[in-house]
Amino acid sequence: MTQAVMARHAGEPRKERSGLRPGQRVFVWGALIPIFLYLGVFAVFPMVWVVVLSFFNYSPVRIGDGPLGLGGRNPFIGLDNFAAMFADTRAGQIFRISVKNTLIFAFLVLVVNLAITLPLAVLVESVHNRVKGLFRAIYFLPTVSSAVAVAIMWGYVYHPQQGLLNNFIKLIGLTPPKAWLTDPSAFVFGVPLAMIAVIIAYVWMDFGYNLVIFIAALQGIPHELRDAAHIDGATGWSEFFHITIPLLRPTLLLVCTLTMISSFQVFVIFQVMTGGGPQNQTRSLTMEIYENAFRYQAMGWAASMSLVLFAMVLIVTLVQFRILRTDWEY
Amino acid sequence: MSAVQLAASSSQQRPHRRHSARPFVRLLVYAILLLGLAVTLVPFIWILLTSLKPASEIVRIPPTFFPERWTLDSYRTIFTDPKVPLARFYFNSAFVAISRVLITLFTSSLAGYIFAKYTFRGKNLLFGFILVQLMIPFQVVMIPAYLILVQLRLIDTLWGLIIPSMVDAFGIFLMRQFISTFPNDLLDAARIDGAGEFTLYRRVVMPNLGAPLATLGIFTFMATWNDYLWPLIVITTHERRTLPLLLTWYTSQHGQRYDLTMAASILVLLPILVVYIFFQRWIVRGVALTGMK
Repeated sequence: MTQAVMARHAGEPRKERSGLRPGQRVFVWGALIPIFLYLGVFAVFPMVWVVVLSFFNYSPVRIGDGPLGLGGRNPFIGLDNFAAMFADTRAGQIFRISVKNTLIFAFLVLVVNLAITLPLAVLVESVHNRVKGLFRAIYFLPTVSSAVAVAIMWGYVYHPQQGLLNNFIKLIGLTPPKAWLTDPSAFVFGVPLAMIAVIIAYVWMDFGYNLVIFIAALQGIPHELRDAAHIDGATGWSEFFHITIPLLRPTLLLVCTLTMISSFQVFVIFQVMTGGGPQNQTRSLTMEIYENAFRYQAMGWAASMSLVLFAMVLIVTLVQFRILRTDWEY
Repeated sequence: MSAVQLAASSSQQRPHRRHSARPFVRLLVYAILLLGLAVTLVPFIWILLTSLKPASEIVRIPPTFFPERWTLDSYRTIFTDPKVPLARFYFNSAFVAISRVLITLFTSSLAGYIFAKYTFRGKNLLFGFILVQLMIPFQVVMIPAYLILVQLRLIDTLWGLIIPSMVDAFGIFLMRQFISTFPNDLLDAARIDGAGEFTLYRRVVMPNLGAPLATLGIFTFMATWNDYLWPLIVITTHERRTLPLLLTWYTSQHGQRYDLTMAASILVLLPILVVYIFFQRWIVRGVALTGMK
């Protein structure tokens, strides 16, 4: 293949303006061909394979007849895996619950995250430069921490008797919930309490990213605009809603997309803090994929669920591109 | 760029805005910021203090915040536990993280340089392919990735944590963006002096990539150090566990002994916090510039 590509280039003298000189050709293709062969094996092939697997009832413990262990005892079942997602079976129900949980989680994380990071970024931006760096550095600290350690730490913070949170709630004279993570009958506005608890822990861990991005974006807003608004009599709130927010629109869009997509993929904090419980109230889609693929070895079924996750990510990305087209300049 | 803007905004804005703020408002701003600081730091302080309490104090209700008796017993218990050869687990995590950093920096800068500074047929197609890779979450392809590792007999090895992620689409993208701003004259001058293309990359491009290499390197390091799902799938032998795997295993063994599990959490968090303290500026600036996640 190398030779073929090089020969074709060599045979076209008229293209010398945009082409490569012989020495460059060896360097460029000598570097790119291994890299793209590698990507072929570890990126393209898995993507094709996951689509293929989703059409089979495949388990790695059964040895099939055909290539890649497919066929025979790992039969082709067409769209049955996808049909099973809508079926009234236990597996179908749990799958639908996990998608619903993932969507609730992503939506609430987005709302809570923005409600905290956007105003906080404005506040951090407004203080003196020397302390600004300090605040930013400490707010960012949880995001670099190991998610497993954070999940274990918050599991302890939520401990009904010994935990920091319940004792703090008692200290200020309120009645804390019986159990944050294990009570299936506790709801807040229809959302399971355990889900709320996971969302709080996750936002605590994750808000530093968006905060730093917003601070950077705020620094990029031309100050003439703010000054002009001040002369026109804008203060505090009206400046925030009429100047800051509209000018942050592109950043806001990016942040929404990234937060949404990464929330779809959250695994650790669910797995370690709640294990999906109580009664599947915090079972996320990635957990469901992991457990079916690697605990129950139902990899065909898990592959079809991975494609649902991919579709969710793709939809959010495409919506972002769509909105981005009507962009804002300043 | 951000530094320039920052300087510009701070010098011109302050006279207009900052000093016009009423003292009460400024006090309120600081109060909110300090509250945020407390919420961020108290959980860390809480588990640190818990790890310094004796086992008997842990079970007390209501719990103490500061230890009544300060002790390092929990750390001593972990260090002397024959089932927890800590050096081994630190080595596993460090080996995987450092290998991945070095390999990622090499492949990203090389491919990024080529996409930034050479013109060849199929370039846009290949680069578009890299961009498409950015959209595919790991969880979508983890099942086939696992099956490939089975075929390569890399399951339950540390190399199994390194080999599937040697080329990073985001790294290539980041490097290309940065190298695009490089003056071509510099490269042409070196060419006239007779430098070969790889020498050019190694001697001219690489030494000027300090900032983006540091940013990408730190992010790769942190992501690998904290990675849980892929090691959970690949590693089965206890001695080959990385630190996050060790932590969940240890917690499952000592569920109610919060002095021990919190000490173990501190031991896992500590190295990454040290890295953060040293590279804090690169990390925060990196996020601000790239929207990295």
